[in-house]
Amino acid sequence: MDVSFAFFYLFAAVLLGSGFMVVAARNPVHAVLFLILAFVNAAALFLLLSAEFLAMILVVVYVGAVAVLFLFVVMMLDVDFAELKQGFLQYLPIGALIGVLFLIELIAVASFIVSGGKIAGAPLAINAVAQGERNITNVKAIGDVLYTTYVYYFEAAGLILLVAMLGAIVLTLHRREGVRRQSAAEQNARTKLTAVELRKVPFRQGV
Amino acid sequence: MTIGLTHYLTVAAILFTLGVFGIFLNRKNIILIMMCVELILLAVNINLVAFSAFRGDILGQVYALLILTVAAAEAAIGLAILVVYYRNRGTIAVEDVNMMRG
Amino acid sequence: MVNDLLSAYLPLAIFIGVAVVIGLALLISPFLIAYQQPDPEKLSAYECGFNAFDDARMTFDVRYYLVALLFIIFDLEVAFLFPWAVTFGALGWFGFWSMMIFLGVLTIGFIYEWKKGALEWD
Repeated sequence: MDVSFAFFYLFAAVLLGSGFMVVAARNPVHAVLFLILAFVNAAALFLLLSAEFLAMILVVVYVGAVAVLFLFVVMMLDVDFAELKQGFLQYLPIGALIGVLFLIELIAVASFIVSGGKIAGAPLAINAVAQGERNITNVKAIGDVLYTTYVYYFEAAGLILLVAMLGAIVLTLHRREGVRRQSAAEQNARTKLTAVELRKVPFRQGV
Repeated sequence: MTIGLTHYLTVAAILFTLGVFGIFLNRKNIILIMMCVELILLAVNINLVAFSAFRGDILGQVYALLILTVAAAEAAIGLAILVVYYRNRGTIAVEDVNMMRG
Repeated sequence: MVNDLLSAYLPLAIFIGVAVVIGLALLISPFLIAYQQPDPEKLSAYECGFNAFDDARMTFDVRYYLVALLFIIFDLEVAFLFPWAVTFGALGWFGFWSMMIFLGVLTIGFIYEWKKGALEWD
C-alpha cells in the first residue's frame, strides 16, 4: 500500500462531495464554486492515472474558462433563484429512486467488466504501451497520434469550435443602432492638413 | 491493496448518477441542469482516462480531449441560448419553454 | 515509473496542504480569539442613511459573456497546439498540414467575428 492509495480516497471523496453540493446548493453561485472544486479534484484523479496533459487542460479550460462562463451567466441574469428552487423536494423521491437504480446498474456493470473482462485484475500498468516502454511523456504520447492517426477527430474538433464560435456570435451579438462609435483607424488617419484649418482673423471683425 | 480499475469506475458511476439525479431535482433551473450535464461529461471523462491508463492505450485520452472540446462548445452555445431566451422573456424557468407547441 | 511521476507532484500536494491549513487557520481563529459582540446593525447594509434600495448583486453586461465565450474557443485552440508543439519534429508534413487546416478553420471564425464587430466595445 503506497501513498497514492490515500490520495485517491481523498480526491475521490472531495470530488463526490462537491458533486453532491452542486446538485444541492441553494445559491447557484455556490453551485458554480463547488463545480470548480469538483473539476480540480477530477484533475488530481487524472494525475493519479498519470494523464498529466488532460489534468492540466481540465484546470486551464474548465476552471479557467467554462466555470467562469457559468459564473458570468449566473451573475448576468437577474433571476430569483429561490423561486426556481421550489419543487426541489417534490421531485426528490422519484429522483432518488431512479438515481439508486442507475447507480446499482452502473456499479454492477463496472465490477462485471473488471472481474469477467480482459482487464481482469490488471494492476496499474499505467500507460505501459504508450509511455513506459518508450519512456516518453504523456503530452508526447498524445501528440504522436492525435495529428496523424486520428486526424479526422482532430479536424472535427476544429469544426465544432468553429460552429460554437459562430453560433454564439449570431445568438448574443446585437449592436445597438444610433450609437456614435469611435473609429480608431479614422482617427489615426487624420493629418494636420485635414484636421486643422488656419485662418487669418482680421482685427475687430471676427471670422 | 492497490487502487484498481473498479475504484475509478465506481467514482465515475457515482458522479454520473449525481448528475442525473441533479437533472431530476433541479427541473426548473436551466443553469443547474447544464452544470449537471457538465458533471456527467466529467464522469465519462474519468471512465475514458481510467480505461486508457489501465489498458495502456492512449486513444482514451485523445477521446477525452475531444469530449472536453464538445463539452465546452455545448456549454457556450447552451448558455448563449439561455441568455437570448432571458433577454426575450425575462425568465429562465424551464416550464415556460413551450411556446412553440402547437 | 508511476511513483516517479507522482513524487514529482509531491511539492504541489504540500503546497495545497499548506494553503488549506493557512486558510482554515485564518477562518477559524477569529471565532476563538476575536472579541465578539454581535448586533444586527453591524450586518445591515449601509447606504448613506437610507435603507438599501436593492440587492447588492449587480448584473453584468451581456458583452462580458461574449468575450468570455470567445476566450474559451481560443483557449481550446491553444490546448490543441501544445502536443503539436512538443511532437513537432517527429510529425512530418502531414501533421504540419493537419494543424494548418485546423488553424485555418478557426481563422475563418476569427475573421467572421472581427467583421461582425464582436471584438469591439462600443
